[in-house]
Amino acid sequence: MQATAEQPSMIRWYYEGLSAGVYRAIKCADCGKLTFPPTGCCEHCGSWNVEGVELSGEATLLFASHNITPACHPRFEKIAPYVYGHIQLKEGPIAQAIVRGVDPTPEDLQALFEKGPVPVQAATLQMDDLPVIVFDIKA
Amino acid sequence: MRNKLREPVAISGVGCSRFGDLLETPELKGKTIQELTADAVKEALDDAGLTGQDVDAVFAGNAMTHSSQLPGTYSQLSKWTGTQFKSGVHFEAQCSTTNVGAAMAAMAIAAGVYDTVLVYGLETTRTKVKGYSPYEREPISHQKTWLWTDMAVNQAYGVPQGYDIFSAYNGLVGLGYCRKYGISIEDFDRGMFEICRTRRQHGAMNPKANIQETLEDAAKRKGFDDVYAYWQSPESNPFVAWPSRLLSLVTTADGASAMVLTRADLAKSGKSQPVELKGFGISYSDLPWYGEDPTYWEFDKRAVDAAMGMAEISAKDIDYLHTHDCSHISGVCTAEMIGYLEPGTMLTAARDGRLRYDGDRPMSTHGGRHAFGHAWGASAGSDTYEAVLQMRGAAGARQIAKPPEISVIHTHGYAMIGTVIVLGGM
Repeated sequence: MQATAEQPSMIRWYYEGLSAGVYRAIKCADCGKLTFPPTGCCEHCGSWNVEGVELSGEATLLFASHNITPACHPRFEKIAPYVYGHIQLKEGPIAQAIVRGVDPTPEDLQALFEKGPVPVQAATLQMDDLPVIVFDIKA
Repeated sequence: MRNKLREPVAISGVGCSRFGDLLETPELKGKTIQELTADAVKEALDDAGLTGQDVDAVFAGNAMTHSSQLPGTYSQLSKWTGTQFKSGVHFEAQCSTTNVGAAMAAMAIAAGVYDTVLVYGLETTRTKVKGYSPYEREPISHQKTWLWTDMAVNQAYGVPQGYDIFSAYNGLVGLGYCRKYGISIEDFDRGMFEICRTRRQHGAMNPKANIQETLEDAAKRKGFDDVYAYWQSPESNPFVAWPSRLLSLVTTADGASAMVLTRADLAKSGKSQPVELKGFGISYSDLPWYGEDPTYWEFDKRAVDAAMGMAEISAKDIDYLHTHDCSHISGVCTAEMIGYLEPGTMLTAARDGRLRYDGDRPMSTHGGRHAFGHAWGASAGSDTYEAVLQMRGAAGARQIAKPPEISVIHTHGYAMIGTVIVLGGM
């Protein structure tokens, strides 16, 4: 019996990229803007005329707070509390994600806040069942 | 978009249950979800001088069916609300549910389809069905409540990759506010304390609130002479998403709310003083909710502009305001964006007592999401209930001295459905 081929999925494509250390988005052929993470449609103009692109992973951490403990999702119980940041990617999109390189304490987060925006680099954190994008503060 | 109602629509009856816990709260303990909802519906229908057979349609709202286990809500509750054989639909807009229902009802009435519509919302965020029992309930764990609630949030990427409501809605917004307006973390903390203290004062004056204890009384009960020391205590009020603390957040609740909407000409001959639904606006967005500036949320601005445009009012016309305050700092940003307060001034306004029921910029006099409590799909209706009471001069001890002529209610349906309704005196 012939196996049924899987249809393409943007979500699967994104996570497969993360597993390989690649950060994927879509670019609109009509307005030229990026949608990150990728969907099948431009979030800015609604065009379906989009194509997959790879991002650099370079970004700026604008603000950093921390999550609640225990984590809202069981997947993250073992790493909570963790720092959660508001980030602007080098290519423009805004993202929010786990941040590494600073402790989730009021003292360390205040010191980081007073420093202002800092450069970060995307990385992949392999959880038990899923690769997850995180951002490491650059030294 | 024409953004007009073809004929005026009124809210002629409102109802709201006590918000609390079906396993513990005195007025709720032992009730089923059917009876909880019927309480709110009966109050609204009685207020309008109607029975369930007098309405043309029923819009039944419930967001978290994991705990209610009541899909097909309109039919399952029809014999509890006297509405059998009516037109109906189960809908949800998460924490904006009941006010989105009011907008749907207004559109149906103004279009000439229905004369009178019953809208209700029910939610149990503290308890869930126990096993397969038709009447026994059990507590929901904190993690389970948020796991289920977060199913309304980006399930492709956000939640699977560590999204956390407390930082996205509170901590990061607070930091953005501090940086934008040059406010120190210490002053931010003090301002959040003052907002919480105001909301708790309102809750203590409201017999239907989830928490009816002032912050001062809570501090004394915990052995603190200084209420601000209590606020800063890591044991009593920890940071849940620095610089935001536990007491700046929503408290979960079981609850139900209801309202009757009808043609304005019919409402004038009704049992109770009606208020006009003068305008509404709805705009939604997925994560992230804001761009570089965490204090500015585009979908809220669009919802506000649509509602105030339909109602033909400006910010200076607003006498009473509720902004969604699951997160107190988010509610601050919305109130300032609306123009009820100057940008960057609301923490000072809270300190000066201006946001209290007896202040010049009264807000959330029922206690808001923190003190009144939050029963997702029922909460927007509780905000409308409070606004209608205030406009009738019927809010009891917390009554605003001069009953508001224009009230604006903003809610966030998770995540996110910015919803604004404008109520006006008739």
